[in-house]
Amino acid sequence: MGSVGTPIGAAAVLTALAAASLLIHHIVVRPKLAGTTRLKLLLGLAVLPFIAAVTTTASGMQRTTEREFCGSCHVMETHLTDLVDPTSLSLAARHSRNPMMGPHACYTCHADYGMLGYPMTKLKGMSHVYYYYLGGYRNWDLRRFHAEVRVAKPFPNANCKQCHSGTLSSFSNVREHLGMQEELESNRVSCASAGCHGVAHRFSKRPEEL
Amino acid sequence: MRRLLAFIARWPTERALRVACWIGLLALALMIAGVVLGTPLAVVASMSVAQGLGVLACLLFGVSIAADGAARRGGGK
Ligand code: HEC
Ligand code: HEC
Repeated sequence: MGSVGTPIGAAAVLTALAAASLLIHHIVVRPKLAGTTRLKLLLGLAVLPFIAAVTTTASGMQRTTEREFCGSCHVMETHLTDLVDPTSLSLAARHSRNPMMGPHACYTCHADYGMLGYPMTKLKGMSHVYYYYLGGYRNWDLRRFHAEVRVAKPFPNANCKQCHSGTLSSFSNVREHLGMQEELESNRVSCASAGCHGVAHRFSKRPEEL
Repeated sequence: MRRLLAFIARWPTERALRVACWIGLLALALMIAGVVLGTPLAVVASMSVAQGLGVLACLLFGVSIAADGAARRGGGK
């Protein structure tokens, strides 16, 4: 279920295979270090692996925005099943049905925006991989995870406003939006909270949080 | 400078190149695994460990070619 099917993923695998065949040839045949051998080694140890590394990274960056990737650790399973459930009315699920952002729904909502948003989101994602494999979440069951794990910092309203600019009349004609401008601006009230648009993932909350 | 020359003179070029090939193969295998499997650990490894190993293999190659060149020039005198 990886990314071999994508052009960049296929390019990564093909260049890596080409480099590997040159290296295997060198190990098996043990040729003298003549000009052509050097050229082959230059290709197999420097040029092709460099291209493979760049394309692998591009493919990996792409892969880490896919919702199946986010849902692949067992503690994220329910987040993903709710998201793809066509009958679910959760805010997250309602954001996953268009072909433009749906396949990357987790990432588009959770990525922080701004200049350093992209690398910082990826770095913080790395810390989740660390928590999972070395921090013990791997051995948690879902009930405990839902009871104890919450967003590390309040979900920034700026993330919602990346798409919902808040400048159209359908937004500004809502009395609640007008009355709360200050609170929304300063994140004291979250757009995704009880009484407003509701939490994004209902199943992971205690009744008093909804 | 003399130490560097001595280091290069003793450099086991052929063996170092074979080691570089093995390390390179490991790096490439990790990259392929990351793209093909697409699971979190494989993807992370393909963008970190694999690249470190790749750089190591490339460095071994560079030193070996330099050492070989130096040895030939030294032998030609
Ligand atoms: C990546 C862009 C994007 C982000 C980020 C985003 N939205 Fe949306 N939102 C959309 C789109 C597109 C739709 C319409 C979806 C459709 O019609 O399938 C939508 C629909 C909605 C709706 C209407 C749903 C309905 O049932 O009618 C609400 C409410 C909403 N968003 C609130 C939010 C909140 C709150 C956040 C932040 C937690 C947020 N959105 C983040 C793009 C976004
Ligand atoms: C509509 C935007 C949106 C989408 C899409 C979305 N999230 Fe969230 N996520 C939020 C918000 C807002 C919170 C804060 C808590 C809440 O509202 O449930 C949150 C909280 C979380 C948390 C903290 C634990 C919890 O449940 O509160 C995790 C983990 C999480 N999201 C994972 C995911 C994964 C995995 C996906 C994709 C399968 C996803 N999210 C899709 C907006 C979103």
